[in-house]
This record gives sequence, structure tokens and C-alpha cells, in this order.
Amino acid sequence: MLPVSYYLIVAAIVFCIGAYGVMTLRSGIMIMMCIELMLNAANINLIAFASHFSQVNGHVFVLFSIALAAAEAAIGFAILMSIFRSKNNVNIDNINILRW
Amino acid sequence: MAVDNIVYLIPILPVLAFVLTLAFGKKLPSGGGYIPILAIAISCIISILAFLQIYKTGIPIEVSAHWFSVLNVGIFIDPLASVMLLMVSFVSLLIHIYAIGYMAHDPGKPRYFAETALFTAAMLGVVLADNILQFFISWELVGLCSYLLIGFWFRKPTAAAAGKKAFLTTRVGDVLFLAGIVILYSSMRDVFLERFPAGIPDGIYLLQFSTIFENISHIDPTHLTIITLLFFGGAVGKSGQFPLHVWLPDAMEGPTTVSALIHAATMVTAGVYLVARTFPMFIASPAVELAGITIPATLTVVAYIGGFTALFASTMGLVMNDLKRVLAFSTISQLGYMMLALGMGSVIGVAAVGFAMFHLINHAFFKACLFLCAGSVIHSTGTNDLREMGGLMSKMKITGITMLFSSLALAGIGIPFLKIAGTPIGTSGFVSKDAIIVEGSYVFAHMTNDWIPFAFGILAALLTAIYTFRLWFMAFTGKPRQERHPHESPATMTGVLSILAAFALVFGMLTFLPFTDFVGHTYDHEEIHHLAVLGGNHVIDHHELHDVVHHASPIIFLLPVIVGVGGLLIAWVIYNRRWVSVASIGNMQNPLFAILAKRYYQHEIFIELISLKFTYGVLALTSEFSDRKIVDGIIDGISSFIIGGAEVLKKIQTGVVQNYATATVLGVGLIALILSFRGMI
Repeated sequence: MLPVSYYLIVAAIVFCIGAYGVMTLRSGIMIMMCIELMLNAANINLIAFASHFSQVNGHVFVLFSIALAAAEAAIGFAILMSIFRSKNNVNIDNINILRW
Repeated sequence: MAVDNIVYLIPILPVLAFVLTLAFGKKLPSGGGYIPILAIAISCIISILAFLQIYKTGIPIEVSAHWFSVLNVGIFIDPLASVMLLMVSFVSLLIHIYAIGYMAHDPGKPRYFAETALFTAAMLGVVLADNILQFFISWELVGLCSYLLIGFWFRKPTAAAAGKKAFLTTRVGDVLFLAGIVILYSSMRDVFLERFPAGIPDGIYLLQFSTIFENISHIDPTHLTIITLLFFGGAVGKSGQFPLHVWLPDAMEGPTTVSALIHAATMVTAGVYLVARTFPMFIASPAVELAGITIPATLTVVAYIGGFTALFASTMGLVMNDLKRVLAFSTISQLGYMMLALGMGSVIGVAAVGFAMFHLINHAFFKACLFLCAGSVIHSTGTNDLREMGGLMSKMKITGITMLFSSLALAGIGIPFLKIAGTPIGTSGFVSKDAIIVEGSYVFAHMTNDWIPFAFGILAALLTAIYTFRLWFMAFTGKPRQERHPHESPATMTGVLSILAAFALVFGMLTFLPFTDFVGHTYDHEEIHHLAVLGGNHVIDHHELHDVVHHASPIIFLLPVIVGVGGLLIAWVIYNRRWVSVASIGNMQNPLFAILAKRYYQHEIFIELISLKFTYGVLALTSEFSDRKIVDGIIDGISSFIIGGAEVLKKIQTGVVQNYATATVLGVGLIALILSFRGMI
């Protein structure tokens, strides 16, 4: 069995990729995907610790997290759809009306 | 008794009339003018009942209720208040009846009648107050109403300015009065806290007149003198005494009925009434030394200011060409006489209050009559300017005759030495002015060797006669100097004129002795003597007064009549016969005429020097500079710093979500770093 630190390193890498994507990418859809990456990195951590400590709590929590991610994706894509309808693209740089 | 239970209606009814007329006046005939007339008529009837009861029993009517803390509200009618009440309600009633005719063509009638009703109510409140605070509140209401009514035709700039001037000038006096009340309150509280160290018990009202009078001897004499001088300052403002008289001539901008109301029944008499009301305090105020300056006894100040005002105002009355302005200056001058009479109290005691009040009542009748006659003349000729009138006698007989009678009263024409049952024979002005000059200032001069007040009185009487008959001759005799079509006024106006003229003629003769005797009972003679000693005054009693008058040289009795008739003749020679050309005296080359016509450069001194140069140029501009540059500068500096900072900081809000996400990530990273480094240290 692999030591828990391996899982944590993978999760950290996945999280960093996700965070970097959220900060730099233009397309709204790509940003949504990066958010999923970050959520899944957290899920990996939860599973890793759950199996490490032989407890079921982590598994249960991941199920919640996945459900939440699904809900979030549904709402996020709905927002992107309506942005696309009015602007004809989903480029986040253009969505900056709440500014000074 | 029955009257005690309804006296509170006296001021309440006119207040109700004010509300009703203001609310429904537009829908009623005559602008709702009959409501105030009815209300004031009932007030007048109750006043008569109250007067009769006091006259019969000699016991004052007192109604008092707890207000809060050590203050109360109440009604107090003693002989002094009862005669004032009668005069105010009666003269005000007549003026309201007259106004129905006079204001018939004015669209602002409901407002007019509502305001005059409130004016009357406020004045009745002043008269009825049983404590100085209630007195002050009503006093301020009187000031407010005078502002509203003088500026009644507020679309006329001069009227608006006159209202403002009246309000601001009397306000100077009101501030002094209020300061006096504050000092009086603290002095009274000290007196009672000394007596009741545990706290003042319920039922003692510090500002009630009766409480104040009982404790005058406990108040510090220096405080007392300051308080009474401040009170007198209030009276100077309201009663148009020098140097706060400047508002009265301008107050002519309102309707003539308002002038009559201000000059006769309400407002200006309030100041005289204040001094008469608090007379025990005045007589007990000694000359004191304060910070090295000797302040003379208050009554001396009152006498000198009054005498000076009487003379000063009458000189200006000589040259005015505006009918109403002549009358305005005569009011100031006659109020000066009343103050002079009160000032004589330091020698003749309570009799001074009697004489002053007697002159006040007589003055109310003949001055109301003069003003309403003037109103009648203005109503029919459409001008205020005496130079454009002339020969009105043939067209307006009733107005001319009533005006002649009241002019005789103002000039004080009568028959000296002839007395029937102890009463002198003459117009009411003669009886009361004679009493002030002979039994007041002559006795004062005899006892103190100070002839200045007497000289003021005699000289002012001469000038009064001249300007009064100048007015009458110019308006009613000779040939019309301009083509106009005068006509006699309607019966509501002439009827009122006749009643007032009859009073002006005979009221003085009929009531002189009982009146002064009755008003003399307002204050206890023993107590006044006792208080006078505190004030360093030697008051002579009734018999001594009688002795001095009895032994006076006949010339003293003749002098007031000689100057009265002399003045009449001078006016007759110049303005009726025209043996002396008016133009040869009345031109600007004559320095005496110039200074009078310019009203002693009061406008230049008060408005341009004091108001514009000093108050505006120095005080206002300095404070404006400090306000604009220093205070505003600090505030503007702070705000522009904050605005500038915000201009820079707001650039952070880019509106791009990713920037915020970056900031969040960086922030969390920073916190993580700090926490991990802290763990290492």
C-alpha cells in the first residue's frame, strides 16, 4: 500500500493546476473545469485520509462533495449559457460590469 | 365665584378664533372677520365682569396650576391687570369692527383676521400671566404676530423689510429680557435652597410674581439691579424707547388697522406693562457698583430714558410728511411719557404706576382714534403724504371732527385750576399728561432738585402740540393741494371713530381719581415703602404728595397748558394761516430741519455704521472668513484627502472575477506562509 503522502502530493499538484487555471484562463467553461479539478483534489485528500485512518467519514463526505460539485456545475453552466446568449461568447474578461 | 372659573376663556377664545378663521375664513363672509369679533367681544365681557368683581371686593383673581418642576401656569388679575384687560379687549374689539370696513377689498382677509386674533390673544396672555415665564412666552408671541402683521403685504419689499426690522430690533430687547429671567430664576433658586436645603418643596413656584415679590428683600441687590435693568431692556425694545425705537416708524408698512392695534392696544404697551407689573422689583433696585462702574438705580434709568425718548421722538415728529409716521413718532414720545411716569416712582411710589397706566389707557383711546382716522383718510384719498392732502374737512366731516378731538387729547389741551369734585377739566390727554408732569416730574424735581425729567416733559409737550396740529391743519384745512375725490368712510368705520373720540375726550375727566386710586391698590403701600428703602429711594406718602402739589407755584400748573396751546398756535400760524412760509423753515439749507428730516442720521448710524460697517463689515466678514477658510478648510481638506484616496483605491475593483480569485489565493497563501513561519520560530 502506498504511503498517504503520495496521494497528498498528487492532490496538491491537481489543486495547483486547477487554481492556476482559474486565475489565468479566459474561457468560462475552462474555468468551470478547473474548479472541478480543485474540488477533486480535495476529494482525493479526503479519500486518502479516510483509508489511512480506516474511517468511513471521509467517504461519506466525498459523496456530499460530489453532489455539491454537480449542483455547482449545473448552476455555473446555466449562468454561462445566459452569458453566451447575450454576449455570444463566454470570455470572462468581457464580464466586468461590476467595476469602478 | 363664577368669574374665577371662566377667566381662562379670555385668552383662549381669541386663540380659537385664530384657528377657526385660518381654517374656514375663506368660505365665510368678510373673510371670517366676525369670528374674532365675537370671540373678543366675549373676552371683553368676561374682562368687564372680572374688573367689576375686583373693583367691588378688592381681592385679586388667582387661578394657578402646576406645570412642571418649580414652574406653574396661571392667571392673575389684580387692579393693574384688570384695567389693562379692559383696555386691550375693548380697543382691540373696536379695531376689529373697524377692520371689517377697512379691509373689505383685501384678498388676504382670512389671514389678516386670524393674525390679529392671535395678536390680541397673545397680548391678553401677557396681561393675564401670573408668572414671568408665561409672560415671556406671550411676549414672544406678540413679537411674532407683529412681524406677521407688519409684513402683512409681504409682496411689497418695504413691508417685508419693515417686518424683519421690527422683529430683529425687538429681539435685541427680548434677549436681554430672557437673560434677566435666567438670572432671576437662579437668584430665586438660591434664596429657596438656602431656606430648604433638602430641596424646594412642591407648590412653590419660583417665577410666580407673588413669590418673587415676597422674596425681593432676600435677593442680592446687585443681582436685582442687573435683573431689572435687563427687564427694562426688554421693555425698551417692545415699547420703542431710545435707542431701540427704530422699528416703530417703519412698522407703518402694515395695514393702518395693524398700526392702530400695535400702537394702541397691543405690543408697545407691553413694555410699559412689564415695568408696571414688576414695579416692586424696580423700586427695590439700588444704585450698585459693579467692576468699578457705578450703575444707577433702575428707576432713574427708566426716568431718563423715558424723558429723553419723549423729547427725542417728538422732534422728529415735527418734520415727517407721512401721516402715519407722524403718529408713529408721537407714539414713541407718549410711551416715553409713560416710562418717565414710572421712573418717578422712586419718589412718588405706587402713584407712579397709577399715572403711567392712566396715561397708557388714555393714550390707547386717542391713539387708536388717531390711527383709525388716519386709516379713514388714507382709505379715501389713497395717499399717506400730508403734502398731497388739504381741505378734507368739507368732504369727511366725521373723520375730521373725531381726529380734531383726539388731536386735542394728544396735545393735552384742557383748563387748568378748574376742578369739579377734585377732577380736572380737559381732554383725557390733558388729565393724564398733567398728572405725569405736575404730580410726577415736578414733585420729583421738588424732592430731589433734579429738574431734567421735568424739562424733558415740558419741552416734549410743546413739540407734541405743534406736530399734532401741523398734521391736522395740513390734512383738513386749507385748499386741496391735489385733485382727489375723498369720500366719507362707511358706518362701521365712522361709528368706531366716534366711540373712540368720545372716550378720548371725556374718559380722563370721568375716571381720573377712581382710576389712579384703584390701580394704586395693586401694590401694598407699606410694602412698597419698605422695598423703596432697600433701593435707597425715599418715597413720600399720599399726604406729602398732596402738600407739595398744593404749595407749587401756579406757573407749574399753567406750564403744560401754556405749551399745549402755544404749540397749537404755532402750528396754526405756520400751517393754517401760513403767515410764515413753510418753505423758508422746511428746507435742507436749515441745518436744524435737515438733521430732523434725516431723523438724526439714525439710518446712517444704525443701519450703515452699526449694521453694515460694524456688524456686517467687521463681525460678519470676520466670522465668514474664519468659517469659510479655517473651519471649512479643515473639513474640505479631510474630505478631499478621503476622496483622493478612494480614487486610487477604487482601481482595485476591476470587475474581473479572476483578479479577485487571484487576490484570494495570494491572500490565503500569505496567511499559510505566516502561520508556517510562526510555527518555525
